[in-house]
This record gives sequence, C-alpha cells and structure tokens, in this order.
Amino acid sequence: MTATMTTTGLGASIVMSVVQLVMIVLGGPIVLGVMAKVRARAEGRIGAPVHQPLRDLRKLLTKEPIHAEHSSAVLAIAPFVLVGTAAVAIAVSPLVTTAPVLAHSADLFVVVFLLLMGSVALALAGLDAGTAFGGMGSSRAMTIGALAEPALLVAILALSVQAGTSNLPKIVAATLAHPSWAAGPERLLAFVAFLIVVLAETGRIPVDNPSTHLELTMVHEAMVLEYAGPELAIVTLGEAMRLGFLLSLAASLFLPWGIATSTNPLNLLIAVVALSAKVVVIAVGVALLEVRTAKLRLFRVPELLTGGFVLAVLSVVTGLVTR
Amino acid sequence: MLLYAIVSVPLCAGLVAAVVPWARWVGWLTTVGNGTVLCLGIVLAARTTNRPAIGALDGALRADALSSFMVVVIGTIALLAAWQGIRYLGVEIEREQSGRRHAALYTLLVQVFVTCMLTAVLASNLGAMWVAVEATTIATTFLVGHRRSDRALEASWKYIIICSVGIALAFLGTVLVYFAALHPLGHGTAFVGAQSHGAGTLNWTSLMAASRHLDPGVMRLAMALLVLGYGTKVGLAPMHSWLPDAHSQAPAPVSALMSGVLLTVAFYALLRFKAIADGALGAGYSRTLLVIVGLGSLLVAASLLITQRDYKRMLAYHSIEHMGLIALGAAAGSSLAIAAVLLHILGHGLAKAVLFLASGEILIVEGTTEIEKVPALLSRRPVLGGIFGFGLVALLGLPPFSLFVSELNMVRAEVAVGLAWAAGVSLVCMAVIFAVVMAHGRHLLLGGAPGPEASIVTPRLVSIPLVSGLVACAAFGVLAWPLQPLLNAAAHVVVP
Amino acid sequence: MSGPGYVDALDLAAGAVLVCGVITLWRRDLRATVSALSLQGIALGVVAAVLAAHEHDVGLGVIAGLVLVAKGIVIPALLRRLVGHGPGSREGAASINVSASLVVAAALIVVAFLASGKLTALLPDTATHLTPIGLATVLLGFFLLVTRRKAVSQIVGLLLIDNGVALVAFLLTAGVPLIVELGASLDILLVVVVLRVLASTMHRTLGPFDLDQLRELHD
Repeated sequence: MTATMTTTGLGASIVMSVVQLVMIVLGGPIVLGVMAKVRARAEGRIGAPVHQPLRDLRKLLTKEPIHAEHSSAVLAIAPFVLVGTAAVAIAVSPLVTTAPVLAHSADLFVVVFLLLMGSVALALAGLDAGTAFGGMGSSRAMTIGALAEPALLVAILALSVQAGTSNLPKIVAATLAHPSWAAGPERLLAFVAFLIVVLAETGRIPVDNPSTHLELTMVHEAMVLEYAGPELAIVTLGEAMRLGFLLSLAASLFLPWGIATSTNPLNLLIAVVALSAKVVVIAVGVALLEVRTAKLRLFRVPELLTGGFVLAVLSVVTGLVTR
Repeated sequence: MLLYAIVSVPLCAGLVAAVVPWARWVGWLTTVGNGTVLCLGIVLAARTTNRPAIGALDGALRADALSSFMVVVIGTIALLAAWQGIRYLGVEIEREQSGRRHAALYTLLVQVFVTCMLTAVLASNLGAMWVAVEATTIATTFLVGHRRSDRALEASWKYIIICSVGIALAFLGTVLVYFAALHPLGHGTAFVGAQSHGAGTLNWTSLMAASRHLDPGVMRLAMALLVLGYGTKVGLAPMHSWLPDAHSQAPAPVSALMSGVLLTVAFYALLRFKAIADGALGAGYSRTLLVIVGLGSLLVAASLLITQRDYKRMLAYHSIEHMGLIALGAAAGSSLAIAAVLLHILGHGLAKAVLFLASGEILIVEGTTEIEKVPALLSRRPVLGGIFGFGLVALLGLPPFSLFVSELNMVRAEVAVGLAWAAGVSLVCMAVIFAVVMAHGRHLLLGGAPGPEASIVTPRLVSIPLVSGLVACAAFGVLAWPLQPLLNAAAHVVVP
Repeated sequence: MSGPGYVDALDLAAGAVLVCGVITLWRRDLRATVSALSLQGIALGVVAAVLAAHEHDVGLGVIAGLVLVAKGIVIPALLRRLVGHGPGSREGAASINVSASLVVAAALIVVAFLASGKLTALLPDTATHLTPIGLATVLLGFFLLVTRRKAVSQIVGLLLIDNGVALVAFLLTAGVPLIVELGASLDILLVVVVLRVLASTMHRTLGPFDLDQLRELHD
C-alpha cells in the first residue's frame, strides 16, 4: 500500500505538494475564521464571517509598509523566513499524500527544525526594533518554545518508535497498514501531548490569548507589534499557515484515513476533502476548549508544558513496554 | 494445641481488658497471661530443640527451634512490660491523665500487638508473616500517640508513614520471591505458556527446599527490597529516622516492647528470607547488604548519640546501634554467628526493656526526660538508680551480662568469615558509644544529693520485675545451659 | 477473554494507572489529587478483572472486585472528608515546583523501565511486560511522599506506593494467594483509617497545618 517513488512520479509529487501548499495557504486563515466563529457562537454572538481573515489580509496588503527607526534587515526579512520555512515544511509533509516531494527527507527532526527556524526568526524580529514590548514578547515566546519543542519531538518520537522510522510519510503509511494502532494507549497519550504543544506553538488559550494587547498577557502579539501593512499581512499569513500545518499534521499522523496513496486525481480530491473535514473538526474542538478554559498565568504555563512532556515520555515508555 | 494456646491467650486477655473499665486486677490478668505465654514458649522450645517442627491449623502455624526461641523472647519482654504496665496505668489514672476507658484501649492494643508478634514468628507462610508484621504497625501507632501531646502525635505520624512505606517495599520483595518460586529454573521445558504455574508457594519450608532453583536476578532485586523494607521496621540506617521519635514519645512499657522485641521480630523475618536468598545466590550478596546497613546504623548511632540530651532518645539510638550489631552478626552468616545473634536478641531485649521501664519510672517520679534535670539518681532513689546503672552496664556489653558473651562471639564469627575490618569498625563505634553513654550515665546517676532529701523508696511493684530481668540477663551471660542447645538448634534452621 | 482484546484492555488499564499517577503530581488541588487516586484504584481493579477473565481464576475476580471497591471508592471517600474546603485544600509551594517534579517523574519512569529488565526476562509475557508501570507508580508515590508538605498529599503518596506494588503483584503472579491478598487489602484499609484519625486529631490540636511545622522532634 505504499506509493513508490519513481522518476515519473516526481512530477506527480510536485503537483501534490503544490496542492498541499495552496490548501494550507488558503485554508489556514479560514481555520482561524472558523475558530473565531465557533467562539463567537458559543458566546452568543453572530461573529464575523468565516473568510474574514482573508479579507483582513487583503486589506493589510494595500497599506504602506513602515519600519521602526533603529531596526535592521532582520525586521524586514523575518516575515519571509517565517512564511518560507512554513511553506517548505508543508511541501514535504504527508498531509494530502503519502508521497510529497522530497519524501525521503521529510524526517521528523527536519520538520520540527523548520518550525523552530520560523519561531526564532520572529523572536529576533521582536528584539530588532529595540522596544520593551518586543523584547518581552520574544523572551516569553522563547521560554514557551523551549519547553514545547522537546514535548513535540518526544510525542512524534513515540509514533516513530512504533513505526520503526522517523520519516513522516513512512509513519503515515505504517499507520495505514496497521489500523489497530490508532486506538492504543501510546497513541492517545501522544495525541494529548501533541495537542498541548499545538496550543503552545500557535499561541492559543490557555497558553496565550491571540486577541489581547495588554502588556501583562501578550506573548505573540508583543513580538509583531512593530509590523504594519504588507509585512503584518505576511506575518499573519505565516502564523495561519503554521496553525493549519500543525492541525493537518495531527490529522494525518493520528487519523490518516482518506489520505491519497496513489497519483489518481480522484484519490487526491478525496484526500483534500477528508483533510479539510478532519482539520475543521479538530479546529472546532480546540475552539470549544478555548471557550471553556481561561488563560494560564505565565509562570503556570511551564507546568502545563512539562505535563505535556511527561505525557509524551509516558507514551514512548508505554510503546516500548507494550510491543 | 500448644500453638493455639500461645496465640490465643494474650488475645483473650486483651479482649477481657477491652470490655471492662481498667482496674488493677485487669493489669494482673494481662501480666499472668503474658507469663503463661512465656511458660508455654519454654515448653515449646524444649519440644522443638533437635526435633522436627510442630505444626498446627493445617500447617498455617509452624514452630521450629527458631520460632520457639522468638516466642520465649516475646513472652519474657511482654511479661515485664505488662507487669510494669500496672504501675504506669495506675499512676496515669491517679493523676487523671487518662480515663479508665483510655487505659482499657491501651491494654487491648498492647495485647493485640503481642498477639500479632507471636503470629508473625509462628506463621509458616511468608505472606501471613507479612500481614502480621503490618498489623503490628497499625496496633502500635495509637500506642505511640497515646499521650496525645504534640510531640507524640508528630512521632506517631512519622512512625506510621515511614514504616508503612517500608512494609510496602517488603511486600514487593515478597511478591518477587513468589514470582521466582512460580517459575523455577530448570523446569522450563515442562511449562506450556503462562497458564501452567509451577509449585508457586510462599511456604517457608517449600521455598527453602526449592531455593537452588530460584532465578538469581529476581532474587537479588527481591532481597534488596526486603532488606530495605523489613530493615525499616528493624530501624537500620538509612531508614531509622522514625525510631528515636517513636520510641521516646511512646509510653514506657510500649517503648520496652517495641525496642526490645518488635525490632527483632522484624529482623527474624529478614533472617528467614536471608536463608532462602543464600540458597539461591550464595552467602555473598546478602552479606554485603547486611554489612552496609549494619555499619551505617553503627555510624549513625555513634555520631548522633553524642549530642543527646534526653535519656529516652539516648536509649532509642542505642537500639539502632544494637540492631546494627545484629545485622553485622547475621552478615557473617555462620552457625556460631547466628547463635550469637540470637543470644544478643534475648540479652538486648531484656536489658533494653529493663532500661526503658526504669526510665518510665524515672519519668513518673521526676516528670522530665532531660538528662540534665535528673541528677544524682543513685543517692536520691538508690534502687531505681541502681537498676538503671546496672542496665546501662548490661547494655554496654560488660561482663557478667549476656551481651558481653554474644558480642564477643559475633566478633569472633565475623573475623572467622573475613569481615575483620567490619568488626574493627564496629568495635570503634562501640567504644565511642561506651564513652558517650558513660558520660551521660555519670551525670544521671552520680553526684551528691542537691539537698537533705530523704531517699525515696521505689515501690516493689516496679523493682521486682526489673531486678529479675537484670538477674536473668546476667544468668544467661554466666551459664550456657539451658540456652545453648536451643540456640544451636535455632541457628541450624537458617544455616543448614 | 484472549487474544488482541485481552492485550488492548490490559495495556489501556495499565496505562491509565500510570497516567493517574502522573496527574497526582501535576495538580495542586488536593481534591483533584484524591479523584486521580480513585480513578487509579478503579483502573487497578480493571487490570485484575482482565487478568482474572484471561486466566479463568475466580479468586482473582473476587480480589478485583475488592480492589475496585476498596481503592476506588472507600479509601478516596475517607480522604475526601479529610481534605475539606478552604485554604487547606490546596497544596502550597512544594519543596520542588510542579514543573521540576514532572521532569523528575519522567526520569523515574525511565529508571523503572530500565530496572525491571530482569523481571521480564524471566517470563516474557504480555502481562509481565507491563511491570515497569507498577515500579514507576511505586517510584512516583515515593517522590510524592518525600516532596509534599500537606498530610493528605503524603497519604496519597503512600497509597500510590501500595497501588504500584499491587499492580506488580497482579501482573507478575496473577495475585498472591487469596488469604494474603485479603490480609494485605485489610491492612491497607486499616492504615488509611488510622492515618485519617491521626490527621483529624492533629487538625484538632494544631489547626490547619503543614507537616513542615511539625519540627519539634529533631537532632
């Protein structure tokens, strides 16, 4: 059931990676819109339409770019690094297909490293403008990142121990071959740990409030405070792509059914629809979780993340023990 | 029949004490009951020395020479404690420090405690032995906290928490031994899958017979857990921190029972397991473990005794030292060593019980446990002071008391086995402790009376049992008969 | 019950035992800790029941029911009344903060896994493969006991140790002989009763207290 990589398949895999990219670029902001809509409905409001983030991006693109007085090239380049690394990660990951381009390089560590590069670029940009808010936001974001990265690595490590490889497409293929794995205890633990990390990396409640601008509570917003106009649009798009990417990765690693294993266009269509459905379901679940919980105080966040790390370790140990 | 009587007599006495409000005759009843246990124990010892073991209750109870020796020890100390208990409870009720119902509860708990200890040494199943030892922890917690003061409550909390942890570890060790017995080596081909279990058993005689077939890796882990677990109840370092608190805050008769017997009943459990482990692993592994905890206890006791200001805590630390000596003796593992260890158990039990009971009397008449506030005991209360002094002499291992004989033989056995260095360290520690206790004792006992105070006579109720205890201790030190055949038979049970 | 259903059920129940153990370290609210303990007791009973069904052992089934009732319902109920409400119901700043203790917990779990190699080697079986989970629970209970200051937290640590030992007993030997198991359960129940009475007495005498305040006896 694994798709074979041949030179004639290279063109097909490029097409499929492009499809993934377009999906996430357009779908990421829509996921943000869905989550905002769910939240609004839960609070008894009508809320903005689901494609509002796309409209906001279009509005921002028409504005004039402004750079802070003492900033350097870092501030200008960082948004592109963010979007670029996210795009590369999306292109090589098995989201819609088990054979994206450069599939044998789509290693766990590579993908996590790409995400990390994006985060670091943004943090540097926050420092670059020389304002107090930016520095504070960067330091908080890096603290959270330092605790979230190990949890992410160990959570996906649990999956790779079970599948015998750390290559992401192969993990997905192995899960397709053994459907009974999906309900095992190590998968459940890894999924919970992964979800905690997703909340941390994308700055959702209970780790960070994406709509606050209070000094006491800002983490992500503080880093991007100095951006305006098109650059803000690119940064927001990058963040939306990361959110979409992480949710899609969760869907394909843990619940891979529907993913295209061959180059048949019908399978690709089914895969696109399946992935959208799964991501929307997970996004709605996350949004409902956000509605129910309050944001944690900053020094309580390490407790949550370390707990996620321990759950990931538990998942690895359980996997090793029950083999 | 004999075994049923031994186990049920103290329990019946306790139940009687529970239903009637306390009066002196109840105290005498329990004393007589415990004395009966002692007599029955002596009969039992005579019947099991150099003869096959006696069983009862369809094999659940079993008395070999080692068990009957322990019954004798328990009976002796219980007799002394109950005798002195009459005085203790009488004074408490007189001074309105506790009501008659409280005293009745105390007596019931003490008798349950004694019964559990007897069950532990007479059980043939190691799991049942564990249950009995755990039951003693439960029974003694309220006894430790009997006085309801802040310190007593703190001591009982520490006691039950630490000892429960130890007991849980001991249970884990027991489970591992059971696991090893379920899957003996060399019989693997006869098994089909996991359904067919082998002769899985916790019966000590069966385990001894099969000990060569037990998996060494599992037995190593099990023995380490058992030394840690039962070692907590014995009071060996580093699990000793509950001992000074519990033994100093408990009422004197309870301290005598706990320090004199309970520690050694837990050590008896260790001896039984050591016999099995030596069969499976050879003598070296358990020897190493016991040397480590034994020397650790000696060093801890020696260093912490120096700064003691409270005579009851001093006695408690002294117990840690003696348990360390016993552990070292058991580490030597030869027949002579075990016989010396058993004699030491008896001698230490007698001497420590006498001292704790005497200190209880001192507390009653002086009202404080601080050494500095109780000077010149010999001139003010000659009999009591004399008892305390001779007790200290006994405990320090001076002739003619039996501890001298047992310590000498333990050192001899250790040197013979190659543990001369450990024996040397233990002798150094004992010398330090000797000096320290002498210094404290000198302050406590000697010196002129602070004023023209007539020397107060200690009641005979107190002096008779204590003096007879000391005399017995001395007698065993001087006369080998009648204990020697019993000791040798008991030693051969664990050192085949 | 045999085959894959047995393996999955056993894995899930044993995993639940371990996760509950981690939750007791994670949450600071004492009521949540006691609830986690009660869940762990129920999971332990389920493990015993699954093993009993697999081995067709009626005695073990009885013990499973006993464990479920005692550790899942009775003991947590006794503890909950001790916790009460108000400022005494939250653990204060522990001597090691929560994040550090969670990292230590992860390390202890790995240690338990490494230490039980010899045991699984003797009988490589589905059930014995899960012994690291029992050992890990014992170590977690030990850690909780040593680092927490509230009386109830220490009792929870002690009960975690007991649960871990019981799990190892079930997995390795399908339970010890019935009499011993009954005695052990009764003993644990009595220990909890005693601890509760003791803690209530201390509450009455000393007021709401941290065990750290009990420092009169020391050298």
